[in-house]
Amino acid sequence: MDSLLNAIASGLISGSLYAAMALGLTIIYGVSRVFNFGHGIVAVMGGYFVWSLMQQAGVGLLPSILVSLLVMYLIGFLVFRYSINPLLKKPGWEISTVLFMLGAGILLENVLLQVYGPRVKSIPLFVQGSVKMGPVQINWHELILMGVVVIGILALNLFFKSTRTGQAMRSVSQSIPGAKVVGIDIERIFGLTFGLAFAVTGFSGILLGTKYYLNPHIGWEWMVKGFVIVAFGGLGSTLGAIYAAVILGVVEAIATLYLGAIWVWPIWFTMFLILLLLRPQGILGGRM
Amino acid sequence: MIEIETQLQGQTVAKGKPMLAVEVIDGYYGELHVLHQVSLRVQPGEIVALFGPNGHGKSTLLKTICGLHQASSGAILFGGQEITRLPSHKIVELGISYIPEERHLFTDMTVMENLNMGAYNLRARKSRNRNLEFVFSIFPRLAERKEQMCSTLSGGESRMVAIARGLMSEPTLVLVDEPSIGLSPGLVAVVFESIEKINRERGITILLVEQEIRHALGMAQRIYLMKKGRILFERYASQVDVAEIEKAYF
Repeated sequence: MDSLLNAIASGLISGSLYAAMALGLTIIYGVSRVFNFGHGIVAVMGGYFVWSLMQQAGVGLLPSILVSLLVMYLIGFLVFRYSINPLLKKPGWEISTVLFMLGAGILLENVLLQVYGPRVKSIPLFVQGSVKMGPVQINWHELILMGVVVIGILALNLFFKSTRTGQAMRSVSQSIPGAKVVGIDIERIFGLTFGLAFAVTGFSGILLGTKYYLNPHIGWEWMVKGFVIVAFGGLGSTLGAIYAAVILGVVEAIATLYLGAIWVWPIWFTMFLILLLLRPQGILGGRM
Repeated sequence: MIEIETQLQGQTVAKGKPMLAVEVIDGYYGELHVLHQVSLRVQPGEIVALFGPNGHGKSTLLKTICGLHQASSGAILFGGQEITRLPSHKIVELGISYIPEERHLFTDMTVMENLNMGAYNLRARKSRNRNLEFVFSIFPRLAERKEQMCSTLSGGESRMVAIARGLMSEPTLVLVDEPSIGLSPGLVAVVFESIEKINRERGITILLVEQEIRHALGMAQRIYLMKKGRILFERYASQVDVAEIEKAYF
């Protein structure tokens, strides 16, 4: 019983990290209908920037995170401006954007490999020590991770609900012709969305890089997880992605406890395929 | 080439500067030639109706004016300024609002959120409260439903939101595309009355595409008849023979 409770707790923690990781993917898809196949490498890059700043340049944790988020935001904005946007103007963009992001992801993976080598890197824990709540033992660091994710999600929600730009992003996700009619500059909103999503994704990579590890290839595993989560929750739905991430995180932890880690993906994908057959639009399906 | 018959040359059209001037535009959907040498003028304060059978270019013309569609040649001037190649958001900022037949509401947002999005451009932000008051005065039903999700509204209510949202952008010219379509006779009357109020109480100029010819004739000052992507003629509403227009539909 105690081990089950511990597994659930650790499932909630990894679930919240997965939620953070999947959000950027679903935000981009929700607003622009572009599926970012380079998503995993975006997360990894966010982690590497922080690792570099902290371990190689000796910058503190918080400034490193801030710089990394800013750089990721700019990269997202520029990737949209100079590659996705021109592709969107041509027929067949549904496929060409996927292929472009896939190719860009592989290219960046190899750039990281050249710069940092294949060896595993870790971002140091924010704090040491652990806390015992009844039978459940959790590291302070992991509690902080979960808190950061919850605060981040609340902040994003506030942004989408109450700011002019956030509302415009939701409008675009619900009806592009409607958004044009009310005078929203669609290209500008797409650009800001890519920037925001890259920053959120990079941030998730930082968090993942503290709990797990970074190497140039890990992004693909993260992307597959992110893909299952957003499809499970409903492509384009942020709330759906959060539910799905928590469900799959807990399933992962319980499966690992009773069957072993090797069973996680078979179980995930069985659940995923069954859900897809019963409810192709995912748990919540649809829009932001 | 069909001769364009204009009985108005030297009358209204020549008087004063037009608010909107469409000058011999052509437009395509892919390979399909949908607008042929279309010219049209709207004077400040007018209600102008555009009649014609379905699929003959009326909606395309409105979409071309508001920047959702691009003309391949010709020019569109608004208040003397050329807007032919401007993106739609710039055209909204200049004061043209397009109310689409398909409504294109933000269905996962409330009525209020939709109206707020209507006031997205910075000019409209400033007059948001005044415009809200006005749209609630012409559609009291929307005030009752302001917290309701648009996905749960009836067809008539959705139409009202679309019109109200279009007014929130602080326009001086409103392009209304088939506002009566799919509505019960009672609601059609409500919608037409609202359009008249918009024109009368706020002095907003209106270019209206409509199938309900008799209704539209009751409030328009001038009409254009469009067929196969061409303007067949323009008339004062008072000189229109309804049978002549209806003939064009067959």
